[in-house]
Amino acid sequence: MNRIRLRSVLLTLLFLALAVIWLVPVLWMIDTAFKPTAFIFTRPPSWWSPEWTLGHFREALQSWPFGRWLWNSLVVATGATILTLLLSIPAAYSFARLAWRGRNLLFFVMVASMLIPWQVNSIPLYFMMNSFDLLNTRIGLILPITAMPIGVFLLRQFFVNIPRELEEAAQLDGASSFGILTRVILPMSLPALGALGIYVFIFTWNEFFWSVIALTRQEMFTIPIGLKALQGAYDIQYGLLMAAAAFTSLPVLIIYLILQRRIITGITMASTEIK
Amino acid sequence: MSTQRSRRARRQITGILYVLPFVLVWLTFLVWPVIYGFYISLWRWDPLRGSEFVGLRNYQNLFSDPRFWNATWNTLEFAAISIPLIVGFGLIFAVMLHNSRFRGKAFVEASLFFPYLLNVSIISLIWAWLVDPDYGILIHALRLLGWQEAPAFLNHPLWVIPLIAIATGWWLSGYRMVVFRAALKDIPQSILESADIDGANGWTKLTRIVIPLIKPAILFSIVLSALSAFSVLGQVLVMTEGGPGRSSEVLALYLYRLGFHYFRMGEAAAVGFLLFLLMLVVTILAFRFLGFESEFERKPGGAR
Repeated sequence: MNRIRLRSVLLTLLFLALAVIWLVPVLWMIDTAFKPTAFIFTRPPSWWSPEWTLGHFREALQSWPFGRWLWNSLVVATGATILTLLLSIPAAYSFARLAWRGRNLLFFVMVASMLIPWQVNSIPLYFMMNSFDLLNTRIGLILPITAMPIGVFLLRQFFVNIPRELEEAAQLDGASSFGILTRVILPMSLPALGALGIYVFIFTWNEFFWSVIALTRQEMFTIPIGLKALQGAYDIQYGLLMAAAAFTSLPVLIIYLILQRRIITGITMASTEIK
Repeated sequence: MSTQRSRRARRQITGILYVLPFVLVWLTFLVWPVIYGFYISLWRWDPLRGSEFVGLRNYQNLFSDPRFWNATWNTLEFAAISIPLIVGFGLIFAVMLHNSRFRGKAFVEASLFFPYLLNVSIISLIWAWLVDPDYGILIHALRLLGWQEAPAFLNHPLWVIPLIAIATGWWLSGYRMVVFRAALKDIPQSILESADIDGANGWTKLTRIVIPLIKPAILFSIVLSALSAFSVLGQVLVMTEGGPGRSSEVLALYLYRLGFHYFRMGEAAAVGFLLFLLMLVVTILAFRFLGFESEFERKPGGAR
């Protein structure tokens, strides 16, 4: 009995140690962000500092438009999420439930196109967006992300598994296909819609490849692109860089603390469909 | 008869109308750029002074360009190191968490997953600071652990790609952990219980039952990690800009520079296509040789 108890205590300690070690890079970022420069560059490096400061945060926020960048990131990620949901829901429903010629072929081509990487698209997209005057705009960032078939794929897999009996009952009551979609299918699909939404939001929030090509004007930067510019400007001023990194991960951390279970289950749902 | 036909026509139209908005966006911003990209790759592309059709010469130029082969090699090296790290750590964490119950488990899972939520610039800045040659805490820790000659990883031609791969493993393995945990939860408890009755120990259960049962998830993870490893750009751009020299210049970075530093768009588009081809080959090989079809064709009860 005692041996089992001891084992479980040891196991718990082992796991907690692992979790803390895994977070060391993040903790070190936060630690560095609050230290005056003189105590950042010490040998050996030390977690403790005789003084703490908000100076790096102040300097970063005063010299760079972080508020604007956060706002851009938020608008782009929200926009891409909403647009993906709006476009994917009817398409997924049609692929799952409506019978029409060419449906399966089109779906197959669409799934295959999920393999296409940004590298193939980025150069032609750059010229296209340039001629539409959409470089350095939020909608220009959103549209190529929305064109990814992942949402249609995920929702279609979910819709297919909804029992047909429910729709047949609604059909007998004279509901149209639109009525069935909005009143029968969608209310049952809230977890899947949430999962897709979380997935697209995180993807867009962290998107780098297309953004770094499409954005050249500083006031249109999103967070990842802004941080890259900062790194180019400050090179090894790690106090300021870590303050900027910590400040921009703060929204993510707060949302994660509140919605942790939902985010992990959402990612689980999305990922078990795509793997 | 005619009413039936008109009903069928209406069904056809309804079905298409539902997919139409998405299909238009998909055609415009995903399908068309691929075709247009291939077209660009056949030209010495110069929108200002006029382009010249060169056929496959851009591709030929790349094949005789040592810088292209260097970038290809670096990309493959990055993939070869990062994929085992991402999938391996993800699998180990998932199995460990799955098989144990203790207070604080949710905290541990949340901590291991957290790095995935940070964007690529943040993790790159953090890791560049961790391995700073003079003041990096990781270098200091390695020296304390007895590796006196710990190199300045990011300034070292042999260590730069492994270090970026390690940082990527730290960043992405939490996501794989979540995927594997979902797969583990699908294993019927009864199978493990009957193994218990047969007297199987933990290791046997893991290697003989658990791993074979989640093999499809593992294979899928490997392929998806490979695809994302082939397109690595952000980490390299922020941490080293391809340096020292060109020892961490990967294909995506070479493409980016060809296109937007040297304005050789035709060749850049050609690199994109070759990268796509590489991904296609890997995916097809995985499907053919790794027993992939099980994921799609697995029938209830027909475990392989």
